[in-house]
Amino acid sequence: MIRTFVTVMLKEIVDNLRDRRTLLTVLVFGPLFGPVFYTAMMNTVINKRVADLDQPLQLPVAGTQFAPDLIHYLRAHNTVIQAAPPDPRDAVRTGRKNVVLVIGKRYADAVRAGKPAPVELVMDRSRDAAAKDVDRARDLLQEYSRAIANLRLLARGVDPRVVTPVVIEDADVSTPRSRAALILGMVPYFFLFAAILGAFYLAIDTTAGERERGSLEPLLGTAAPRAMLVAGKISAVAVFSVVSLALDVLAMYWCQGLIPAAKLNIAAGFTPWSSILSFLVMIPFCAFIAALLCVVASFTKSYKEAQTWLSFIMIVPLVPVLATVFNPTEPRLWMMLVPSLSQDLLITALIKGEALSGAFVSVSVLSTLAGGAILMWLAVRLYGREKILG
Amino acid sequence: MIEIRDISKHFGSVRAVQHVSFTAPNGKITGLLGPNGAGKSTTLRIISTVLRADAGTVMVDGTDVASAADAVRLKLGVLPHASGLYPRLTARENIRYFGALNGLPRAQLERRIDDLIGMLQMQEFADRPAKGFSQGQRIKVALARALVHEPNNIVLDEPTNGLDVMATRALRDIIRKLRDQGRCVLFSSHVMQEVAALCDDIIIIAHGRIVARGSPDALRAQTGEQDLEEAFVKAVGESPEVVS
Repeated sequence: MIRTFVTVMLKEIVDNLRDRRTLLTVLVFGPLFGPVFYTAMMNTVINKRVADLDQPLQLPVAGTQFAPDLIHYLRAHNTVIQAAPPDPRDAVRTGRKNVVLVIGKRYADAVRAGKPAPVELVMDRSRDAAAKDVDRARDLLQEYSRAIANLRLLARGVDPRVVTPVVIEDADVSTPRSRAALILGMVPYFFLFAAILGAFYLAIDTTAGERERGSLEPLLGTAAPRAMLVAGKISAVAVFSVVSLALDVLAMYWCQGLIPAAKLNIAAGFTPWSSILSFLVMIPFCAFIAALLCVVASFTKSYKEAQTWLSFIMIVPLVPVLATVFNPTEPRLWMMLVPSLSQDLLITALIKGEALSGAFVSVSVLSTLAGGAILMWLAVRLYGREKILG
Repeated sequence: MIEIRDISKHFGSVRAVQHVSFTAPNGKITGLLGPNGAGKSTTLRIISTVLRADAGTVMVDGTDVASAADAVRLKLGVLPHASGLYPRLTARENIRYFGALNGLPRAQLERRIDDLIGMLQMQEFADRPAKGFSQGQRIKVALARALVHEPNNIVLDEPTNGLDVMATRALRDIIRKLRDQGRCVLFSSHVMQEVAALCDDIIIIAHGRIVARGSPDALRAQTGEQDLEEAFVKAVGESPEVVS
């Protein structure tokens, strides 16, 4: 019995190690897709969002002659005043300029009369890349406005604090690590993805592929017990899934060093220990997904058909994960009953540096393994039917 | 010895096999002859335990196929109609896998594989991946795979399909060799000449029923035709009347 199981498992592993596409998926594409995509994306986002305050603001201004004081103030506050383009609106619309400040004669008149003086800030809100410059320009103008207001109040003998009844002080209670969780929120998704992709081709090859090659009937004609055949196949699939996952966790740990986390003032999310724990809580999911993909692929008649179905099925475990992205909730015990969701929540907790609840981990591990066992039982039943030969 | 008693099998409304009975004795080659779709493969699949008969019994060396399928599988060497190999494994690895699944101890298995490679003249391609094999090479590997556990009963479903003349002759020699070792060989074909050249007993099957049986000579006498092919056509064409 055990020998049959080991024989089948080893055969499937050796057989599929010789398949270049499977190897590429398990060793390269599955594990590296997440980290590479993630690193590239994070670098882009961070560089866009975090204003580099050392760099002077490049601000095209039209009508500098109407507001010499303002221009002086801007220059004194790390701004390089550029000549405005002839058509500011067009320049901003086409993206040649991020923002243009337009000062008209009305401004000079209003300042002289002591009335609110209008300046025009030409911007395009739909352009994320311009947001940084727009915000800086607006902040500078408001600071200037406040400074002038304070001077006017003082000139009239009024304490400027009178007009500042409320002061908002930001008290951010997020720790650097919990801020990291926000950034690293996609990581559990990538772990799940790597585990699924690692299982993908093997699940097809050992089931639908076996049938399509015509090797299934001879195989079922051997004295090997069906349960051992099925268990051996699913285990081989799970092994590939675990390998893909392990590489993904390693790659992710390494890649987080490439993200300029310091710019966001966050500490990195993964310690070596939390990486290992994440890997361990994911292992039951590898067994579960191996059984799920094998069962589904067993229903199909050909490699092609199996690919179509599995491409659809591989999205299913990601649905609860996406649900938490759009609707973040506190983990509850019942959520640990849901494979993929439970792993997602546990890894998220690990990234935040929170201690894992023993009850949560046990329920997650046991329920996921139980799900896998039920699916394996289903597969054994399936291979006991005559119809399996198609 | 394979004994079939009154088996029937239907798929939905299609009655694939109806009341088929025959015995394939040891030391003889029994040919199951019939046109495509006659029920040959279904009959052989019931014997090889991958299908279950709706009615009737099949005994292999006295063991019931339905109640002791695992024991029967060890007594049977089967070359099914669809007999694919694992393309990324070598011929030797393909055979070894099946030997291990049938529970052969390692040392004995390796000896047995070497014997089979010699007997089937596979030395040249034994350690190449099966991917680029010719149909003849593929059949040899599939046959070796079926014989690796030294079964007394050998079931071959249209083994010569797609083989060239030389490969067919080689396969016939192997089948005779197995017969001369005292084994029971049961094989199916839709080619008259094939069966005539090889078989000691012929069973002609059409529309799921046996329509004629006997040695090649007896069949000629039974149908009153000198040419075996004519005898076959007559037997198949007149199936409703010639139920034996």
